Amino acid sequence: MSEKDDKDLQETGSDRKGIDRRDILQGMATLPVLGLFGYAVHKQVSYENAQVAQTLGTAQASNLKEVNVALLGAGAQGQVLLDAMLKCPNVRFRAVCDIWTDYNLKKVVNILKKYNFNVNGYEDYREMLDKEKDIDAVVIATPDFWHSQHAVDCLKAGKHVYCEKEMSNTLEGARQMVLTARETGKFLQIGHQRRSNPRYKYCYNKLIKEAKLLGRIVTVNGQWNRAVQPDLGYPKRYEIPADKLKQYGFKNMEQFRNWRWYKGLGGGPIVDLGSHQIDIYNWFLEANPVAVVASGGNDYYSPETREWYDTAMVVYEYETPQGRARAYYQTQTTNSSLGYFERFMGDQGTLVISESDANYANAIYREVTAPAWDEWVQKGYVTAPKVVEVKEEKTVLDVRESVSPDEHKIPVEFADLYHRPHLLNFFNTVRGLEKLNCPSEVGYESAVTVLKVNEAIQAGRRLEFRPEEFEVS
Amino acid sequence: MIALVVMRVLIGWHFLYEGVAKLLKPDWSAAGYLKVAKGPLAGLFQSMANNQDVLAWVNFLNMWGLTLIGLGLILGCLTRYAAIGGACMVLLYYFANPPFIGYFSSQATEGSYLLVNKNLVEIGALFVIAVTYSGRYIGLDRIFYRLLRRRRRTVAEQELTGAAV
Repeated sequence: MSEKDDKDLQETGSDRKGIDRRDILQGMATLPVLGLFGYAVHKQVSYENAQVAQTLGTAQASNLKEVNVALLGAGAQGQVLLDAMLKCPNVRFRAVCDIWTDYNLKKVVNILKKYNFNVNGYEDYREMLDKEKDIDAVVIATPDFWHSQHAVDCLKAGKHVYCEKEMSNTLEGARQMVLTARETGKFLQIGHQRRSNPRYKYCYNKLIKEAKLLGRIVTVNGQWNRAVQPDLGYPKRYEIPADKLKQYGFKNMEQFRNWRWYKGLGGGPIVDLGSHQIDIYNWFLEANPVAVVASGGNDYYSPETREWYDTAMVVYEYETPQGRARAYYQTQTTNSSLGYFERFMGDQGTLVISESDANYANAIYREVTAPAWDEWVQKGYVTAPKVVEVKEEKTVLDVRESVSPDEHKIPVEFADLYHRPHLLNFFNTVRGLEKLNCPSEVGYESAVTVLKVNEAIQAGRRLEFRPEEFEVS
Repeated sequence: MIALVVMRVLIGWHFLYEGVAKLLKPDWSAAGYLKVAKGPLAGLFQSMANNQDVLAWVNFLNMWGLTLIGLGLILGCLTRYAAIGGACMVLLYYFANPPFIGYFSSQATEGSYLLVNKNLVEIGALFVIAVTYSGRYIGLDRIFYRLLRRRRRTVAEQELTGAAV
């Protein structure tokens, strides 16, 4: 017997020729492991799906009344809302409307068909309102200058409306929306989605109102900084004909794609980005501002293609129920450092909050002179403070310096699509289960606050708000 | 030999689930892992993450490589190639976050490591599998081997008879 045969005997137990039953059995002996593996993976996947379903609240979905929805405006923001709506239980899509029929409309209709919604696509929203009688609610994500007309017509057609912020690019447009919502008795939710964000609600209700951890808020600052971005382009073969663009208020395809930067169409970064956060200033300070100063301009981009200010720095004055407060806000589109957050600074603590899970945000800091927060840590309102080690031999605190405050985290995880809770609040209001978190009156106050910034930059001086400016009558 | 088969199946299970778990997540990407790479090859890993075309390949090879190697090890199918391929893959993971003196891991780890970590242990185990023939004892390789051997023998015998004639 050769050496090779010897080895063969050792490994396979024989030097027989051919395959016998034993070879087959031993050859396939580990096959059942795959069965076990498949079973384990199946169990794991079902477990993960159940977890997701639980966080999405689809478990109790069957009890919810179905809401028939149309999407008006199927561009970038419309698609963000669509993603969130697809995760809202018992929402039935009926129609989609967009003037870019060959591109966005087609895309969204196809997505919805994949989700088994038999939707009709429309170019003209009036035709949609005429033909789709079963629609309960319309979700509007068109450019700002269309909001007022779209929302008013939908409300008058008897539909409830969720309208993206900014509610309009003009105050007159926003006023008409509030009035129409009142006349028709239909719900009009404005898309300041942080109003429904569990973390923001928690900070306001629990930390500021109940535990009063900030004491008296005296200053606020916040920002949305974005990196340099080129103008939005478009696939040449899907270009919209010039006469059609004109009919819908756009000069050309470039303007259609970048409408946010054009006067008369949008409001620029301060309105697109700032309005979300300045709305939170009003909410948390429980007041509307009394005055504003602002500086801004076309500091970086060409005013040819970007008519609105690429940089804006704003200071509001507030008279809050607790006393005077000043709030700074900046938005710039040339450097993304520290992203976006709002920081509320009281005489007892500082709250840094952001919609994003940025690691420098969503924490609350106790001033060293403030009463201990042990009670609130024990109750679980905030986490135990992070101990900051100080190397004594190297760090000598000057007597004039304050010791850095303890950092506590806010114990609200929010791993959801940002717009989902706000849309859910809208749908549940339509179902008669909840109240709107951002009704048109609130959206109007926010619009007055924010649109004044562009005015103040233009005027180059401090502008005052009259209290009646915030009211619609 | 049985002990080797058990070890092979365990490692195979580990590979297979690492692969399948990634395949089940449509948005999985190695980019995050590569971007926080440490050690002497950090630059190489980071450049992989930054080039979209390369990244697409890395993701594809990772997902399917892990899955196929896992299947190979469990079934004892092309065992040597699976073991060598697996060892190479784990070696890359080892170098993406090597527990060298003075380095700290950029990934959360559950133990304390110096030079040797679980990746290196797995490489060692795969090395043992690669140089032994557990697939020919229990595994599909046994059947392949038999088939090939039978053919070879038949050819050899024919040649022998032919020569005799």
